Amino acid sequence: MIKKKVTILNSSGLHARPSAALVKLASKFKSDFYIHMYGYRVNGKSILGVMTLAAEQGAELVFEIDGSDEKEALKSILELVENKFGMVNE
Amino acid sequence: MSIQINGEISIKGLPGSDGIAIGKVLVIDHKAKKIQPKKIKSESILTNLKQFASSRQKFLKELNELSNNLDQKTAGILETQKHIVSDIEIEQKINTAIEDEHYSVDYSIYKVFNEFIERLRESGSELFQQRIIDIENIRDRLIALACENEANIFEVEKGAILIVKEISPTDLISYHEKGISGLIMDRGGVTSHAALIAQSLNIPCIVSTKIAVQSASLAKQAIIDASNGELVLNPSKEKLSEFRKRIKKLKRARKVLKNSKAASETKDGVAFHLRANIEFTQELELAHRCGAEGIGLLRTEALLYEGFIKKSESEQDKFYEEILQNSSGPVTIRLFDVGGDKLNAHTPEEANPFLGWRGIRMLLDEKEMLISQLRAILKISGKFPNRVKILVPMISVFEEVIEVKRTIKQVKKALDKEGIEIDDSIQVGIMIEVPSAALLANHIAKEVDFFSIGTNDLTQYTLAVDRGNDQISKLYQQHNPAIWRLIKLTKEAADEHKIDLTVCGQLAGDVLGAICLIGMGITDLSMSPASISRVKEVLITRSREELSEISEYILSCKTTAEVQQFYEKWGKVS
Repeated sequence: MIKKKVTILNSSGLHARPSAALVKLASKFKSDFYIHMYGYRVNGKSILGVMTLAAEQGAELVFEIDGSDEKEALKSILELVENKFGMVNE
Repeated sequence: MSIQINGEISIKGLPGSDGIAIGKVLVIDHKAKKIQPKKIKSESILTNLKQFASSRQKFLKELNELSNNLDQKTAGILETQKHIVSDIEIEQKINTAIEDEHYSVDYSIYKVFNEFIERLRESGSELFQQRIIDIENIRDRLIALACENEANIFEVEKGAILIVKEISPTDLISYHEKGISGLIMDRGGVTSHAALIAQSLNIPCIVSTKIAVQSASLAKQAIIDASNGELVLNPSKEKLSEFRKRIKKLKRARKVLKNSKAASETKDGVAFHLRANIEFTQELELAHRCGAEGIGLLRTEALLYEGFIKKSESEQDKFYEEILQNSSGPVTIRLFDVGGDKLNAHTPEEANPFLGWRGIRMLLDEKEMLISQLRAILKISGKFPNRVKILVPMISVFEEVIEVKRTIKQVKKALDKEGIEIDDSIQVGIMIEVPSAALLANHIAKEVDFFSIGTNDLTQYTLAVDRGNDQISKLYQQHNPAIWRLIKLTKEAADEHKIDLTVCGQLAGDVLGAICLIGMGITDLSMSPASISRVKEVLITRSREELSEISEYILSCKTTAEVQQFYEKWGKVS
């Protein structure tokens, strides 16, 4: 299991479409993926779970990934966060 | 400053079904609908799980179909919706709610989505608040898909006045059984299906009120004065006592129903027959009380609305048997008269459903359904010989008559082979409701045993007026001279070939209409049971000669206004 602290960079936070992109990517991996934020823990493969964090720009999250492909998963997910979830017009 | 919520409010609409009612207000606005916790038995768990799974599949399919022709941005939004619909947490939680907590599928969906919605709401983030409505919509769509054939009926206090934007026929029946005393519908015109059913169930109803749902949310009590198309919310004491008196008067008049036993003949002894249009077994008692001589039109569409289509022939048998057993006189059964959309959700949407694949057009394509209905009708005809008639809807060309007759012959033969008794001389007639059928009546008359004129659709098709469209409802004129001419043409064809002719549209249940029809020599009329007494009252006090005078005049009129003016004058003079 690996844990990694990340900060949300894009201006509109983890709203619907960034959440969808995150969930879509995470679901490609076998590993379990959980997100912690201010004491909440949600399933990172559930879009409603991710959305209910209501994570805005600057929010600090902890990603928890556990499974056989956890390393690749973390790498891909971090890339997505750094690329601001592919939201070009933000 | 205070907002006055107790003041009397009057809202105008169109009269959908006559009568007066006072009752508590029950507003059902489907968007704001709350779903109550409902537990299910363990044997229903599997069904509920399946309903949930199939509702997700259907929803995803809908979204896929939608996103095909969209620009990228909109498609992206739908993509998010798809993620929400197929969310794994949602799936697990809903399945758990059904399996472990034994909640019904609709409540499980409602409950699980609301947990997420609540959390979003609590987050206080402005940006995320906007998503709540989207998620609520997804929730409601899933519930609707999961409960497709299951009505969602609220508890009702007896005598309540139901106020809705629109309502399905089956829901209206369910509310009627729960004892509502009136119906207000914001949408729809006077011949919308709900209004017709309200008439036959004898529930006062106003349609096209537009703002009743929003206006009534805080109201406690209401008066429906349907004949004036007026809804009064929060009525004053004076108004209440005035209307209570009127209701008492009406009740007294109804109790007497003085004419229900009187002979059906004009003052000078010309006999006529007034029969009932019904759709449900629950209406039989009223039809009997009103003195109906049999059922002139038995609508069978409710069998489809209730999902009978997938059910066996024997369930149709049961319905017809109950009708025949609890009535006397002839029963004219109209074959399924619906559009393709009632068959399944996958039939492509039609731009003009009223000019589309419906009635006999659909039945001839869906032979299996036609044959199963014909079998059920023919079987019941064997048990009640000389009482059952078959009525074919939506005939527009001659060939359809021939083909439907051929099918009936085949079904008869098959039943004969199986040794099932039928009424071999069962009468087969067609609806005259498309102008082309009226114009070709002299040819068609040679092929059938009777005609039944459906004036509602005949008016719609002749005047090119969608009868559900309230914007052009002024053009929907059953008294228009053009309609009378088509009726006359049909009458002449029926006389020439000596076949029976009845009229079963709203025109028959309207006093002016009935007068003119009897005046033209059409003595067999079928109408909603509640209209029988009123129509009979007028007919038995007049002579055939008086009635003919008006029917002759209206055929020469140019406008509906002329027809009505003459009628008013006639009523005063004679």
